[in-house]
Amino acid sequence: MIKINNLSKVFRTEEVETKALNEVSITINQGEFVTIMGASGSGKSTLLNIVGLLDGASSGNYELLNQEMIGLKEQEKSKVRKQNIGFIFQNFNLIDELSVYDNIELPLIYNNVSSSERKKKVEVIAERLGISHRLKHYPQQLSGGQQQRVAVARALINDPKIILADEPTGNLDSKNGNEVMELLTDLHAQGSTILMVTHSDYDASFSQRTIFMKDGIILSEKKNNRNVDVFVS
Amino acid sequence: MLRNWINIFLYHIKNNKLFTALNVLGLSIGIAGLIFAILYWNDEHSYNDWNPNKERVFQVINRVSATDYWASNVAPLEAHLKTDFNEIESYCYMDNWYYEEIVQYKNKKEILKITDAQRNFFEMFPFDFIHGNAKTALKDNTSIAISKAVAERLFGTENPMGKIVTYSGKKLVVRGVYVVPGKSSMQPNAVTNLIDNRLLAEKENWGNFSFGLMLKLKNPGDKEKVIAKIQKLMFENRIVKWAKSEGITIEEWLKKNGGDDLKVILEPIKDARLHSITDGYAEGKGNYQFLLIMVGLSVLILILSIVNYINLATANAIKRAKEVGVRKIIGASKSNIIKQFIFETILITTFSILLALVIVELSLPYYNEFLGKKLVIFGSQFYLQLVLIFIITIVVAGIFPAVYVSNFETLKVLKGNFGRSKSGVWLRNGMLILQFAIATFFIIGSYIVYEQIKYISTKDLGFKGDQVLSISYRNKYNWKEDNYKKKVYNRYNMIKTEISKINGVEQVATGAFSFGSSNGSTTGFTYKNSHNIQGRNMAVDFGMLEMMQIQIKEGRSLSEKFASDTINSMLVNETALKEMGEKNPIGKEVNWNENKLKIIGVVKDFNLFGPQDKVPPMVFFHFKTVDWMLQNASKIHVKVKGENMEQTIADIEKFWVKNVDTDYPFQYDFVDKEYARTYETYVKQKNLFSLLNVIVILIALFGLFSLASFSIQRRMKEIAIRKTLGAETNVLLKELSKQYIVFCVIGFLIALFPVYYLLNLWLENFAFRIDISIIPFIIGFVVLLILTLVVVLSRAYQATQVEVLKYLKYE
Repeated sequence: MIKINNLSKVFRTEEVETKALNEVSITINQGEFVTIMGASGSGKSTLLNIVGLLDGASSGNYELLNQEMIGLKEQEKSKVRKQNIGFIFQNFNLIDELSVYDNIELPLIYNNVSSSERKKKVEVIAERLGISHRLKHYPQQLSGGQQQRVAVARALINDPKIILADEPTGNLDSKNGNEVMELLTDLHAQGSTILMVTHSDYDASFSQRTIFMKDGIILSEKKNNRNVDVFVS
Repeated sequence: MLRNWINIFLYHIKNNKLFTALNVLGLSIGIAGLIFAILYWNDEHSYNDWNPNKERVFQVINRVSATDYWASNVAPLEAHLKTDFNEIESYCYMDNWYYEEIVQYKNKKEILKITDAQRNFFEMFPFDFIHGNAKTALKDNTSIAISKAVAERLFGTENPMGKIVTYSGKKLVVRGVYVVPGKSSMQPNAVTNLIDNRLLAEKENWGNFSFGLMLKLKNPGDKEKVIAKIQKLMFENRIVKWAKSEGITIEEWLKKNGGDDLKVILEPIKDARLHSITDGYAEGKGNYQFLLIMVGLSVLILILSIVNYINLATANAIKRAKEVGVRKIIGASKSNIIKQFIFETILITTFSILLALVIVELSLPYYNEFLGKKLVIFGSQFYLQLVLIFIITIVVAGIFPAVYVSNFETLKVLKGNFGRSKSGVWLRNGMLILQFAIATFFIIGSYIVYEQIKYISTKDLGFKGDQVLSISYRNKYNWKEDNYKKKVYNRYNMIKTEISKINGVEQVATGAFSFGSSNGSTTGFTYKNSHNIQGRNMAVDFGMLEMMQIQIKEGRSLSEKFASDTINSMLVNETALKEMGEKNPIGKEVNWNENKLKIIGVVKDFNLFGPQDKVPPMVFFHFKTVDWMLQNASKIHVKVKGENMEQTIADIEKFWVKNVDTDYPFQYDFVDKEYARTYETYVKQKNLFSLLNVIVILIALFGLFSLASFSIQRRMKEIAIRKTLGAETNVLLKELSKQYIVFCVIGFLIALFPVYYLLNLWLENFAFRIDISIIPFIIGFVVLLILTLVVVLSRAYQATQVEVLKYLKYE
């Protein structure tokens, strides 16, 4: 599904040149749940942003669904993004001025889904995430966990091919964090492809595979043997 | 503390150079506009303000028909004023206009503006006397009082008192030298007391309204009593006597003549300049409407720039929320924060006022030229007003943002996220709508004004005057001389013959009227059962109508071929004909001023006074038919050929100053220009409106620009999120500009009624006017919408092109 080959990203300032990514290569298959870990500045977020088409690369190749992404125009990127990618952020990134319903509905609007269809879909997803009773509220009226559920609902509403999560539990307490991770696990179980960036070993353990990064290169890779119950007790 | 405030103030100026500069500039343009209006206002209101009698001295005005108000009176009233009116302290007959004549002392000649008045003129207008005094300055008909400036010009350092000057063939003794203490409705260079003989000659004539009359009442409250008394006298001596002489009853007379329209009005001097019902003084009437327009528009512009200031200040304040939060935590009270922000407004306003004064100082010469005035930035009254503007600006512009900022909740502010707060949005949006409304008003208003001026300046006037010179011509004979009428006639004939010989002159003729002026005489007449028709006396020379290309609608024009045309032929214009109610006028006889005149033609209506006025009823006849008319000709009209025009005019001038008038300067103008001068003030209003329009649009657009910038700044994160979710640029642009279009439409709608109402009011000044169509509104809306879109979309487009990541991560 995702094929990254020798991808580099260089930041230049007047004095120094920093390689945020240095010839990184990864492949993520359909249905996989992959975590990227690493210290601050290791390049993990940069990688995620490039995968999410929010940022461009300096060199290398990036194929999403067998289509080359490097060099696409802004408009085409935007099209690929809205059809295939769902985002979940650490700070939720909900629009405060819009109600929960309106927030979840947004990606559908940008994909030209009809209003009645949108209503149906929003209700289904809200039901699934247990936020049906919150649809008329505004983000500021919700707890952090609830806000992240809304963000997840928004990410899923469009049935994206891949979900990108940037430290999704970073702003949550452990209980809410756990709920979100279970949500992701459920999604994975239903066949979603997920790429997640995190600091937490615990969160990473939910995934099938963890990639460790440092200074813009991939250090190692590890397969996770998932046994959730042991950790939870 | 003050230094701390100044430091942070300077920091913000440095970091917002563009916005600060535009803000100060906008505010100073607004203040400069108001200063201009105030200077004009003060000047107009200073007229007669010095006059201690301004509430007690009245001018007597007669309403002679529903629309005609004459500031002139009959002479025989004087006898009654002396005896029958104990409410009156004193009265003064005078000419409420100036003779412009030569006064000579030894070899020195000066053309002076002279008023002829009775001896107590200075009781009505108590000028300050340097030599002599108010009582004795005009004690008899050999006296003349002169102004200080004239005294210096005529006599230099000599003492003028008792010196003898020559004026119109008479020797007069200087018995007083005065200074006019302020602006006055009468401020002649010299005053004579020759009027009594003229009054004497007319003392039995209750029908000749020729003299200005001022009354000084003991108690201004007696005004109505005095009016009733004069009206009664007029009725008894006019209607009653006239009815008697015709041998009919009063009722019959009134029925026959369409009633008695005469009403007397007493108008105090304090109303003379701006609120007068007629133009009854030599210095003329101020244009109160124009003054109000000036003040109104400049206040609107000031509001606009203050609104800008408030908008920017509150928008900017959000950026400074953290500063306010920190200040509060370390102990600043609410009032302390308010003081700090008002302090900043004081600094900005001070800059703006100083800049405004610079703008005014630099452009005052143009403004003076525009108004035809000599305004200066001076006067304690003006400085007081300036301080007032300063305080009002600070109060309005400063307190809003300051209170707004001081109300920030400390905790919210410090927790961050305040940059996206919605607080104050309603205020800014409301102000934005107000700005849109003001801009709409100006765009539509100036378009309508432009249309009207275009209409009157391209309208077919009914005559063509582009190659016709109108030369000022003075009648130099005294009517008491022997053969007076013959002399007048011979002189005119001589001039006509001689000028006709000059190379390049096509034709010479004249009439007892001039284009673009209401000078001239009218005579009332009735026809069959018609009411009184107050026709303009359009006595003409042969060829005058043809030369001016005035059309004859029916019948024929006057011609030398018909002997009767100098005896009893007359023409009427369409308006007069309509009032007469005659279907077949040709050949009908009219009893005109005791002459029996026969109508030979109907003249197509043409504009005489100006586009403000309706075409009056007119009666045309040859100078010889009514032989006293030629003395009213104050212009000689000469048609010249297009080529070598300058040479031709130079030749005429050469002849003129040598043979016609050796003392007075040769003055001429083309008839079309002379006519255009009647609506010059409206052309000026159009230019003013256009200029202000540009300023208003600039200020409003700048306000929109900065507000859109701030509001989009506030929404950057939202934009980033939407972009991440897949919004395309054009969808975002739509989203971002949507609200401004709504505001634009609301502002437009708010302005609709006021602009329609006020511009209709303005158009009522014109007898010939356009109707307000829908086009100015459509154009106004389209222009406003396009400008809004250009500004907003440019800002929005910039916003959609920024890096999404920056706002997702770091906010």
